Amino acid sequence: MRRFFESKGFLSILLLAALAWSVSAVDWGRPLVHPGGVAPLLQFLAALLKLEVSPSFLKMALLASWQTTAYAVAGITLAIALGFPLGIIASGVLARSQWIRRPMILSTRFLLAIFRSVHELVWALLFVVAIGLSPMTAILALAIPYGGILGRIYAEIFNDVPAEPLRALRASGCSELKVFLYGRLPMALPDMLSYTFYRLECAIRAVIIMSFVGVGGLGYYILLSLNDLLYGQTWTLLLFLIVLILVVDMWSVTLRRRLVS
Amino acid sequence: MNKGAEITPLTRLKRPFSLTTFSLAAFLALAIASWSFIIFLDNGDILVLFSTDTWVRVTDFIGKLAGEGTEGRIALFQLEEWARTGKLAYDTLAMSILAISFAGVGVLLTFLPAASNIAFGELAPSRSPVWRVLFFTIRGVYMFTRAIPDLIWAMLIIFFLSPGILAGALALGLHNYGILGKLSAEIVEDMDPRPARALRAAGAGNFQMLAYGIMPQVLPKFFTYLLYRWEVVIRTTVVVGFVGAGGLGREFRLALSWFHYDEVALLLVWYLLLVIAVDLLCAYLRRLAR
Repeated sequence: MRRFFESKGFLSILLLAALAWSVSAVDWGRPLVHPGGVAPLLQFLAALLKLEVSPSFLKMALLASWQTTAYAVAGITLAIALGFPLGIIASGVLARSQWIRRPMILSTRFLLAIFRSVHELVWALLFVVAIGLSPMTAILALAIPYGGILGRIYAEIFNDVPAEPLRALRASGCSELKVFLYGRLPMALPDMLSYTFYRLECAIRAVIIMSFVGVGGLGYYILLSLNDLLYGQTWTLLLFLIVLILVVDMWSVTLRRRLVS
Repeated sequence: MNKGAEITPLTRLKRPFSLTTFSLAAFLALAIASWSFIIFLDNGDILVLFSTDTWVRVTDFIGKLAGEGTEGRIALFQLEEWARTGKLAYDTLAMSILAISFAGVGVLLTFLPAASNIAFGELAPSRSPVWRVLFFTIRGVYMFTRAIPDLIWAMLIIFFLSPGILAGALALGLHNYGILGKLSAEIVEDMDPRPARALRAAGAGNFQMLAYGIMPQVLPKFFTYLLYRWEVVIRTTVVVGFVGAGGLGREFRLALSWFHYDEVALLLVWYLLLVIAVDLLCAYLRRLAR
């Protein structure tokens, strides 16, 4: 019996049951496409041929793209500033005594877990209440969950570096701080860089989502254009968004390939 | 030692270094430009963080979350409130599973021709150009669905479909379809081709090669990615809920705009419970998939 609960067949049954349950939870009684939904859909698709390309609008879209990038980059720098020290503490590499190490690791890991369990948009809504609609809302709302993720990943990377060079450093009389500075950190750096760039890519998407609460950027203008039924503008902005994401995506993918190989 | 062997490792070392330095420099420049743009041109006042006003508002807000100033009993201590929001949590969970199922089924149907070694590499079922066309079409669709964030998908979909968990699941499913599709196609490209090669040499047909040479290698990794995306999706259900896709997110937004902060606190508790439960469940299921 025990075997069965650890088998792949059991996994398949579980997945199928979950699918069946989720389908049954949908309220199928209502019409799928809401009345009057087809006309705007057709209008929306037709608008792809009528992109808004007036110079003033393009300038605005470009500025919005830059705004999105700037918030994402600023958020990531703050996330690094948060995640790096917390990651060092959470990896427990600086402490030799078990008595300090255990509570130190557990408490910081718990803190990091809280940071990252709440979605960045939820943080954004909470920060709007606390500090209003300032760019700092977007930056902080990004920096907290991303700091939590970076901190955890950095801690794992610090723990995963090969042990032999560290032992050699210790044998030659280095303190744990020096072992960290001359052993762990240089060995961990490529992986840390690679992961941070991957997160930068995610941050751009996150900022676009966050502009929904009212801080500027591409997402905000997409929302406005949809509300004004100016689908031509929506498409132009969507194309800007896709290009922005693809450029960052390509940059980070090439860099990560180089760093890992 | 000949000369060629000496140069190759050096050049290999040098090339990655230059892109890395460039990226670091570019990132630093971007960071400086971003911060100065935000501070000087975009009215992003860093000092706002240190003003007493902000801290008063933050402590005030936390107090309200804890039920300060609410008339009567706060939502966290009312059983019927727990039951009412529990239904929303139930919907949210269903939405996340539905979304990941949409993405998973869609990917399972399309990811094979999206892998270059199957479309036109050594594992290709035939040399027909159809596979090449399919490869680029599917990869293009993956790229498009992936590039558009889930919230934007939800905004677009809510326009045409009746709001509810189905619309939200569709939006989440579309975005994750692109991500999962790309990851799965890369699994196939990176897999060990030797079992499939051996099967082909022994005279296996295309289907047999797929069933015994490719799928056994690919499926466990596919499920690991699927579960990982599910963990992300359960966090994002809240986001698509904001634009009307139902579940906890919608109620969260409404409660915030009605200033029912005690209800916001209860919804946050449900949200955290869901996230933690899914994380634990995924850790268990991942062990099964291995």
